Amino acid sequence: MFIQDLKNDFYRQLISKRILIIVNYDVDAICASKILQSLFKYDHMLYTVVPIMGVTGLRRAYNEHQGDVKYVLLVNCGGCVDIVELLQPTEDVTFYICDSHRPLDVCNVYSDRQVCILGDPALEENIPAFESIFYDSDGEDEDDDDNEEEDEAGADSGAGESDGEGDGESGEREQPARRKLSRLERHEQRVLRQRARRQWELERDRIMFDYTQFSYYGRSSALQIFELAWKLSKDNMDLLWWAIVGISEQLLLGKIESGAYTLELEHIQSHVSRLTNKTNDQNTMSASKINFENDLHLVLYRHWTVTESMRYSRYSACQLKLWTLRGEKRLHELLVEMGLPLVHARQTYSAMDLVLRKEFYTMVEQLAEKYSIPDIVYGTFTLSFGYRSRYAAADYVYALLAILQSIKKHKTPEDCFMEASDALTRQHKQLLNAGIDNAKLLHAAIFRQVQSCLEAHQVHSTGSFFYYVLQEEHAFFSYPYALALLAKFVLHGHVATTRARQAPDLPLIATCPLDAAQGMCLLVGIAPVREDSPKNFFGKAFDQAAQKSKTSLLQDFFEPSIVQLRQSDLTRFLDALTVLLT
Amino acid sequence: MSRSNKMFGDKAFDLLKDLKRSAQTIPAFDDDGVRQVLEEIKAIFEENVAQASSYNSSGDRSLWPLLNYRHAALQRNKRCLLAYLYERMQRIKALRWEFGPIIPGDIKQALCEPEVQFFNNYSKSLAAYMRSVGDGQGIDLTGNLRPPKSLYIEVRCVEDYGKFELDDGEVVHLKKNSQHYLPRAQVETLVRQGILQHIA
Repeated sequence: MFIQDLKNDFYRQLISKRILIIVNYDVDAICASKILQSLFKYDHMLYTVVPIMGVTGLRRAYNEHQGDVKYVLLVNCGGCVDIVELLQPTEDVTFYICDSHRPLDVCNVYSDRQVCILGDPALEENIPAFESIFYDSDGEDEDDDDNEEEDEAGADSGAGESDGEGDGESGEREQPARRKLSRLERHEQRVLRQRARRQWELERDRIMFDYTQFSYYGRSSALQIFELAWKLSKDNMDLLWWAIVGISEQLLLGKIESGAYTLELEHIQSHVSRLTNKTNDQNTMSASKINFENDLHLVLYRHWTVTESMRYSRYSACQLKLWTLRGEKRLHELLVEMGLPLVHARQTYSAMDLVLRKEFYTMVEQLAEKYSIPDIVYGTFTLSFGYRSRYAAADYVYALLAILQSIKKHKTPEDCFMEASDALTRQHKQLLNAGIDNAKLLHAAIFRQVQSCLEAHQVHSTGSFFYYVLQEEHAFFSYPYALALLAKFVLHGHVATTRARQAPDLPLIATCPLDAAQGMCLLVGIAPVREDSPKNFFGKAFDQAAQKSKTSLLQDFFEPSIVQLRQSDLTRFLDALTVLLT
Repeated sequence: MSRSNKMFGDKAFDLLKDLKRSAQTIPAFDDDGVRQVLEEIKAIFEENVAQASSYNSSGDRSLWPLLNYRHAALQRNKRCLLAYLYERMQRIKALRWEFGPIIPGDIKQALCEPEVQFFNNYSKSLAAYMRSVGDGQGIDLTGNLRPPKSLYIEVRCVEDYGKFELDDGEVVHLKKNSQHYLPRAQVETLVRQGILQHIA
């Protein structure tokens, strides 16, 4: 069931109730949960926030709190699985789902009370109609009873009920006629009915396959929740900023098309100007200010040096082939033409000459066409508070991602989650800065890995897709987001260097050993470069390949294109996938 | 003297310095140090008694300054010891306000027997006083020394606790790394015990 009127059907229902919020490990979900928490705080509603990773985590978290809570809110998780079947909840528990993963599970969509999806059904694409995928199970039962009775006695009493599917009135009128049908005719009818049924099932399977074939992402949950806050007139600058961070994550990780992002930008801009006018806090120290500006797709350049940021950003690095010597020369050429002295380009951006800093954006923009990096410009928001703090939304996203991935021996994933959610508040600037430093390390590591991989020609092609196998456990790449970032960089880099004409049309699969002791490895599928829409067919493909090769696949993450696999099964699995995709 | 650089009163002074430097709520009672200071006092006193008696018999006034000096050292040692005990007493009182009537195990080890007795007595009198005020109902003075900003606080669970029942019958499952928004009055003790962490 969809809920469109979040204010009345969702929020008002929950007031003065206790609620369990289950949050997935991604930046968008963290932002959404932060906004929700502050809303609940305003209304003194008791809540419990539990971070979870994957389906097993969801089940465990629910089982622990089972019986104590009657309202459960799932943020960025659970939309794509049949919640009722997975968790086996009691009748009085209500689930609210705020999930940006698509496609939504049809059982959730057509649940009449227990599962409520926050969102607008008009925005959802081609959800199959109820009749085409669900069969009236009552009719089925009667059918079966009927068959048994007929087999046993062939008595008349059963025949009356054989028309279980037809509505009552016509059934009654037809009854006398039916009674006269001979046994043969009845048998014929049953065969016909079975055939129709089989056809219907085939059709249903086709529809379901079409529906679930691609996995993609819908609207940012953070933005959706922010709009709820706005309708409740409880929005402020902080909440808006979190929503912006949420949607920026979707853009930067390639979860949504840039077109969809641009459309949302307009809405956000109106929120920004409204809130800026509303707040009358003129004090520079305490006031936060959000500005819309055109910015560059360069990683963390405000907190890094220009050369490094250019080199470690995927877009500029792939277009200029910065891992080669020629690329390096071209970068210098670009800098010369920009009029940016190397001394300045190699020191931290914040220490650069003020004039150069002010002109940096226009300089890059002017030369973008010439150096074939036109897409480097995009619209985004920056947050400034105090005298020194100025962060772009992308800075936040990269920092939070780095924090989420900074799992170490003494630091559990949950700790990372809490740290990331702390880093969002303005009081914990040092956490954010530490995250930014971590993100720099991560991006530098990604670049080095890409460089060595491309130089050693480690990207192999099977004809229908590329694959790239990381042989060793890696401090960074054993985590889904980092591996996905790496895989994307590798694919774009490979496409930029290779001569093969069909390269931009091929997807890439990257794997990295996860845990040497257990012999598991992480597998990530990346959509082809030329593919504009971020739809990813790997979820279904992985599933089928696993069935064909009889390997056990652990599809625990809510991103279906990220799976875990036994290391020893890997070759068998890739073979099956090759067969499947050719 | 073998410890020529040591002066009278050094030990007592060290005792105080150690207490001041310690980062814990209350350091372990320095039994050894206190005993040494007491021994020093005793030794000084005995020397003084011996010389004073010889003065009585001989009437030699040349030892007067030495006698006075020793006496001053003795007094100083005494003051230091008293200061040590007083400071510890203050901290023990603070413990009562901070942790309630039951001392946590690790802190209890740091106290010596008379101190534990003092704590119990102090606790008793405080409880008796709290019962007497507040129109016959009693009032928990240790609760909020400053008025709270809000009735609810956001807490994060630092260790597994299990089920926790609130006054209104709601049961909250406190598990490590979950975050909750709960009534301040009811979870305050858990925060003090270190099971929950208050997020500002």
